[in-house]
Amino acid sequence: MVGPIASLSQLHRSDGSASYKCPATGYSILGAVNGPIELPARRDALKPEEATVEVFVKPGTTTGGVGERYIEGILRSVLGKIVLGREKGFPRRGVVITLAIVGGENVARGDNYLTILPALLHTGLLAMISASVPLSMTFSATLLGVTEDGDIVRDPSPTAAKAAVSLHVFAFSSKNHLLLNESEGRFGFDTWEYVRERALSICQGETTASADGDVAMGEGTASASVSGFIRETVEDQIYSDYAYKLDSI
Amino acid sequence: MSKEAQLSIAERDFILEALCENVRLDGRKPDDYRPLNISFGEEYGHVKLQLGKTNIIVRISAEVTKPREDRPFDGLFNINLELSAMGSPAWENGRTNDIEAYATNILDRIIRHSNALDTESLCILKGVSCWSIRADVHIIDYDGNITDAACIAVMAGLQHFRRPDAVVRDGRVIVYGVEQRVPVPLNITHKPLSVTFQTYNDSKHVIVDATLKEEQAAEGDIVIGMNSAGDVCYLSKYAGAPADAMAIVNKTNVAWEKVKEINAAIEKVLQADLAKRAKIGMADESRAENDRLVQIE
Amino acid sequence: MASSTTASNLTPPSLSLPPSQFARLQPHAYLLAHLSPPPASNQPSIRANGRAASQFRVTSANAGSLTHTNGSAVVRIGDTAAVCGVRAEILHTKDIASWSVLQASSEHNLDNSNYAGVSESQDEEDRGHIQDLNLLVPNLSLSTGCAPGFTPGAPPSALAQSLSHQLLSLLHTTRLVRAEDLRIWYQPPNLESEEFGNAGEGMDVDTEESGGPEREIKAFWVLYIDVMIISLAGNPFDAAWASVLAALRDTKLPRAWWDADNETVLCSDDVADARKLSLRGLPVASSFCSFEGDAAAGWRAVVIPSAEEQKQKKSAQRRWILADPDGYEEGLSQERASVVVDKENGKTVIVKMEKHGGWTVDSDDLRQLVDVSAQRWDEMKRILDQC
Repeated sequence: MVGPIASLSQLHRSDGSASYKCPATGYSILGAVNGPIELPARRDALKPEEATVEVFVKPGTTTGGVGERYIEGILRSVLGKIVLGREKGFPRRGVVITLAIVGGENVARGDNYLTILPALLHTGLLAMISASVPLSMTFSATLLGVTEDGDIVRDPSPTAAKAAVSLHVFAFSSKNHLLLNESEGRFGFDTWEYVRERALSICQGETTASADGDVAMGEGTASASVSGFIRETVEDQIYSDYAYKLDSI
Repeated sequence: MSKEAQLSIAERDFILEALCENVRLDGRKPDDYRPLNISFGEEYGHVKLQLGKTNIIVRISAEVTKPREDRPFDGLFNINLELSAMGSPAWENGRTNDIEAYATNILDRIIRHSNALDTESLCILKGVSCWSIRADVHIIDYDGNITDAACIAVMAGLQHFRRPDAVVRDGRVIVYGVEQRVPVPLNITHKPLSVTFQTYNDSKHVIVDATLKEEQAAEGDIVIGMNSAGDVCYLSKYAGAPADAMAIVNKTNVAWEKVKEINAAIEKVLQADLAKRAKIGMADESRAENDRLVQIE
Repeated sequence: MASSTTASNLTPPSLSLPPSQFARLQPHAYLLAHLSPPPASNQPSIRANGRAASQFRVTSANAGSLTHTNGSAVVRIGDTAAVCGVRAEILHTKDIASWSVLQASSEHNLDNSNYAGVSESQDEEDRGHIQDLNLLVPNLSLSTGCAPGFTPGAPPSALAQSLSHQLLSLLHTTRLVRAEDLRIWYQPPNLESEEFGNAGEGMDVDTEESGGPEREIKAFWVLYIDVMIISLAGNPFDAAWASVLAALRDTKLPRAWWDADNETVLCSDDVADARKLSLRGLPVASSFCSFEGDAAAGWRAVVIPSAEEQKQKKSAQRRWILADPDGYEEGLSQERASVVVDKENGKTVIVKMEKHGGWTVDSDDLRQLVDVSAQRWDEMKRILDQC
């Protein structure tokens, strides 16, 4: 399976940016973060003690609608929670996260946004890292679909997602907390728990052996996990940023 | 509303004095564009354009809709430009500003109103169904001259885009997927582009393709929209200091040269991309044939 | 000056505040004090509004209260009240741009439906019709004055928009409404003999050699589902969804048919002819929020314990999951969870589950929440059956 591709700090004007492409689902997202920034038009909404996190999702080939407002709310609650909004310089200011869907299919009206949610979350996280927004933790997310036969499919394409009986998005913090769960379809709690274990092993690369002792193949190593991928992306950027130092050593 | 950082007096004076000596900040001649880089994404009509540090993504999409009641023979074509905080921190998400309205207006006039895309060719079944073509312009990095950059990107996108093939059979429209039938290019009648000039020092100095700083120092602007054949389809001198009429006439010639140059550049990348796609297509086909051979064995 | 001294003489300034003022000044401490009473006082842990942690507010529902709709309901959950009206409009297939379009690439196309439902593909087909043609149009508005801060003339807030989306998305994923209920058919008269078949009306219909003329969809009912939150005191989604559910259960569509002579859809005005929608299941939504005992949790500059450590320290950690939070409690918590369950033959099926905004609620808690939601389902079913 082809893993995602991501890079940091491609844009000039915004404080931080990231691009993220997930070949399995076909989505490609560009994210930009400006912060801390004055938000004069939102004076009433600004909080005296901490930063206001704003998320804007811009669909690729349509105008934004109610679905975007909903997903923005979810992204804001997850990304806003990990921002250390009380650090110096952040109270009374905003952190504006703009995510543009620059590749992949459109999400139709009334469709769930679950298929694109992990890509949006990762792009938002990487863009915030690129903008040096202080964070309390990082996270990794994944999308899993349960087919009619009870198989779990990782990162199903939009068509495969439509055919799935239930769809699940999980985001785990770097310390294994469940940060976000969005599940839809028809399922029982035992299925959910099984999917959650699988998601955790995909995200964190932990060898959580199930009862019969089989370990999810290829996902056991740290580098193949999603959190490992996030780490490598940031490390690559640091490596190229500090190339001048490395050369002089 | 947030604002772009103002140009300092020293910076402004520096730009103006340098222009008096025919020098620009980045060493360009007055009639030079910044380096232009156009590339295409995997999908048809997905254009990534860089003009210096101005960075634009355009996506073209098509869907079947009902034509307008008063124009049953016409398809629909819309250009959608929405500025977001990605392009510049001064732009607020979800709020329109002057630049957005200005740029949308110019794009509409140059590309849509000059009928660069033949909307009649988008009709599938009179009064029942037609194609609606939509161009979405995403400005992801703003360093001046978005109108020219957006215009080039939209035109490149329209020429690159392929819509699914559709036929009418027994009063029903059948849309064929990309895998089944070779998708159809759009019918482009002519290729207009915009060329924006900024004027300085009572229009003694007129430069093309200004950066953000040069735009901020400018006295006024002239926008000329024309095609490779030399037909002017749009000309505006909105606000700012009065411009010399002869300057407009002279610069129209410059604009023509630029349009021909840029259209040639678009053509070149288009051909390169088509050749690349054909190669991939061939490779896929031969692989499929190989698979079949293996099955036979 | 004089008056103030006399006043202070009469009532000595008290050092304690009345509870209502304390609740405003120190909301977090106020709720915390209720939930964790001192061990000596022997009082149970109870929320500031007098409810136990997993207790929902008193819920009432009333269906059919609006006259000019096809179906309507008012649902009240505590002080949150939602009114829902369903209005059915006719959409002719000739007005649908994508109707006569065949997607040759996809294996199932809209046209399949001409053959009256094969049960296996029914679900798929329903999704195709209801979702692709937008036959369900829910819209939620937070009306002026439903809570302080909702001023007249403002565009729909982000909250209202995202609630509208949640309703639509849930209607689609639960496939609550059957597409068959919304179809308006035309059955051409069965012209057995061939002379008749060539003679007239049959001409514009695709006559097939085998069998009689085929049934044809001529129009659809589009359901405009308008929800108005007239009073907002926390947890708008549960109330809004319950009102949609009650209104759809109440919805009656008149009998409609295609009149070939007038080339239009006619409706019967006979009330006896009208039929109710046959809904799939009864998904019930329950929302929860998590209240942290430590007001500074989440932003204080301490190392956040990993999930395993947190689990071990659970007893020491003070956190309450509150069912059906009111506005006051919602303001004091960031972490939200929402579960939508349905029951089939006594077995609980989860239709939707979501949680975000924090990191304390995990699988053990969610298991409990599903159980609580299942109990809530029984309660809601009773309430909705009675209304």
